[in-house]
Amino acid sequence: MAVSGTSRQKQTDEVMELTLVNTVFQIFSSNMMDIPVIKPLVDVLMTVPIVKYLVALILWKPFFAVILVPGLTGLMLSLLFIIWFERKLTARIQWRMGPLEISRSIGGILQPLADGMRYFFQEIIIHKEAHRPYFVQFPILAFIPVLLPVLFIPAGTVYAIRTPYALPVIVSLISMIPVVIMAIGWASNSRLAFIGTVREAFMYFGYEIPFIIAVLAMAVLYGTSDLYLIVEKQRVWGIALNPISALVFLITMAMATSRLPFEIAEADQEIAFGPFVEYSGILFGLTMTLAYEKMYILGLLFSVLFLGGGSGPPLPFLGDLTPVIWLYIKAVIIMCIMAFLRAVYPRYRIDQALRLGWTYLAGLAVVSVVIAGLISAGGLLP
Amino acid sequence: MREEYLDIPVEPPAEFQPLFVPIPREYVENAFRSDEFIVLVGPQHPGSGHMRIVVRIKGDIIVDALPEPGYVHRSMEKLAENRLYIQNIPLFERPSIMDSSNYNVGYVRAIEDALDIEVPERARYIRTIFCELSRIGTHLYDAGIFSVFLGHTTGFMWPFGLRELICEANLRATGTRVTTSFIVPGGVRADVDDSVLKFIYDSMGVIEKRMKGFEKIFIKNPAVIARLKDVGVLTKEEAIRYGVVGPFLRASGVAYDVRKVEGYDAYDELEWEVPVGDDGDAYTRFLVRVEEISQSIKIIRQAIKNIPRGPILSDDLIGKLKEKDQVRKNIKGYFYRIFSRIRLPQGEFTSQTEAGRGLLLYSIVSDGESNVPYRVRMVTPGWLYLKGFMESLKGSRLADLQAIYGSFGYFPPEADR
Repeated sequence: MAVSGTSRQKQTDEVMELTLVNTVFQIFSSNMMDIPVIKPLVDVLMTVPIVKYLVALILWKPFFAVILVPGLTGLMLSLLFIIWFERKLTARIQWRMGPLEISRSIGGILQPLADGMRYFFQEIIIHKEAHRPYFVQFPILAFIPVLLPVLFIPAGTVYAIRTPYALPVIVSLISMIPVVIMAIGWASNSRLAFIGTVREAFMYFGYEIPFIIAVLAMAVLYGTSDLYLIVEKQRVWGIALNPISALVFLITMAMATSRLPFEIAEADQEIAFGPFVEYSGILFGLTMTLAYEKMYILGLLFSVLFLGGGSGPPLPFLGDLTPVIWLYIKAVIIMCIMAFLRAVYPRYRIDQALRLGWTYLAGLAVVSVVIAGLISAGGLLP
Repeated sequence: MREEYLDIPVEPPAEFQPLFVPIPREYVENAFRSDEFIVLVGPQHPGSGHMRIVVRIKGDIIVDALPEPGYVHRSMEKLAENRLYIQNIPLFERPSIMDSSNYNVGYVRAIEDALDIEVPERARYIRTIFCELSRIGTHLYDAGIFSVFLGHTTGFMWPFGLRELICEANLRATGTRVTTSFIVPGGVRADVDDSVLKFIYDSMGVIEKRMKGFEKIFIKNPAVIARLKDVGVLTKEEAIRYGVVGPFLRASGVAYDVRKVEGYDAYDELEWEVPVGDDGDAYTRFLVRVEEISQSIKIIRQAIKNIPRGPILSDDLIGKLKEKDQVRKNIKGYFYRIFSRIRLPQGEFTSQTEAGRGLLLYSIVSDGESNVPYRVRMVTPGWLYLKGFMESLKGSRLADLQAIYGSFGYFPPEADR
């Protein structure tokens, strides 16, 4: 009796496990990416016992959005591309060749990867005065506010979370990044890092308010802050509806990602990379890419708010992948425009940048809210 | 406003002791008590050059700046006492290698003054051409450093790219790109071929054309103007009082140029103007130097057009040498036969030169017996305007330190000698 009892118990366990796995599998497979090109392959793989779970997971839309494109993988690829592109572009403007040593035949595009590997094998020096645990943790913790906004950014139907509060959540998460940078500067416990931290804090107040008002203007214009609906409502791109808001967004984006002419917090000739002065090795690599990651997220947000998100001419045989690709291309183009600034501008002083932020940008942002209000009250939008 | 502080014992940071920072303990303690902050800029700092500036800041404003030069001191003056007069020429161009011809000409003129040597006309024109090439090279070099101090990398690369033309001209005429050592007492080492003069003439056109692009991207850039206008101002009186020299003195409104005053080489035979500014701020200092580039181009063009034929070495030196005609064209092979015997009469001989960054003074003391100088005093422009540089820092923001530094083009190896 006892034996049969245990076996029955075992059987019910197995059945329950199977039903659990099946439920999860149901969830995955009910919301899968539909890509006509690889559909035959997917169909074959879905018949293989264990592989089918894996395939279902990868092609599950939320997973695809967060881990592949526009999420983590897209972020890494755009990082590798934009660092190479920036170096190459500035080199061309400056009568130089740019990176060519690594992978000469394809224009040295693997150079950032090689640099990353070099960072990885370099010694991480933690100096005596540093607050050791925080000093090591913060560059890694900084990834949390950088990566979380991806959850809310829709590329067509590919998104992880759809919520009417997507816009405020993204803006608040992006606003957390300077806090991490300030914590980094504090943990470094060095003079130049301290000055850089203070500058970062000042810049934060300089750009954050016009930025939030400009984003708010778009929320007023579309009458919603659900990004999925915002994309749907853009028969005409937002940049044509409210160009002033787009301008404020772009300038504050340059300030937020410390591009020249607003590379004030980490001015390397003045305060030697400011908050990041004490870092070396892979930790420096992480802190250095932080601004680029922020730029990618802001580029995605700009594409969604002003450039019609994932909308674009349909690509044949790509199905659900089409909006993902369009969104990605738009974001990368925005990053390229930001990269161009480096070749043209010197650095502003902190007081000049603050004056710009508090007067012109804040004024323009308010004007953009008025425009958005007029458009939405006039019923120009569906 | 009444200043309040807690009278607790302040420990100056530990780094001040092992680094041998030459400021008194009371100064540090005083600064820390009065809510000020001492920042050591340099010598290991991307925006300091080979020197340290002890900057005392209140908030973001620089209250006091103490220079600590000497990190690249090479004891030029002492080394010169153990070398033949002629061997000092390559030594004395080392402080500022971009400016080598001007540094040669200053030292050589002191010797010529002592020995009363008449320099042939063609040699004077060749000297003028190379001095002005050096001046353009120095101005371009400093414009590049200035740009990168403001974070403008394109403004860094373009002048350095243009400077290649000057290096190439040096290479074709003298055989070296930077440290030419081409000018010797009594003339120059070798005659310069017409094809080389043609190359120099053509490259002046290239530099003039490319400077227009540089003007668009850097000089007229609104962000540059915003950064430099009314920053680090030295008034006319201050500039004179602190003994500022060269383009930086002229930027404050004093039209003093040794080339005009002394009229050495061929300068008084050519037509050119002394650019003078009014404001004395960082932007004016930079504009004066940019204007000097175009004046130098003008001088070089005139000099190449008007250059006479003739010997390049003075007959006073050649003396009764058998191969006279050959040596008059090229000194090669007879260098030590002519120059190793040079011995200056007893006394002190001084020369003033307008180098790229300002007045350069050589003073040679000779005992009249030995073939080495008893003492050589060399005062470089960098050393002369260091005081004015430090004074102009006061009252500006910490971020302006690099802007003012670049506008002066302070070059520590030059100042430290």
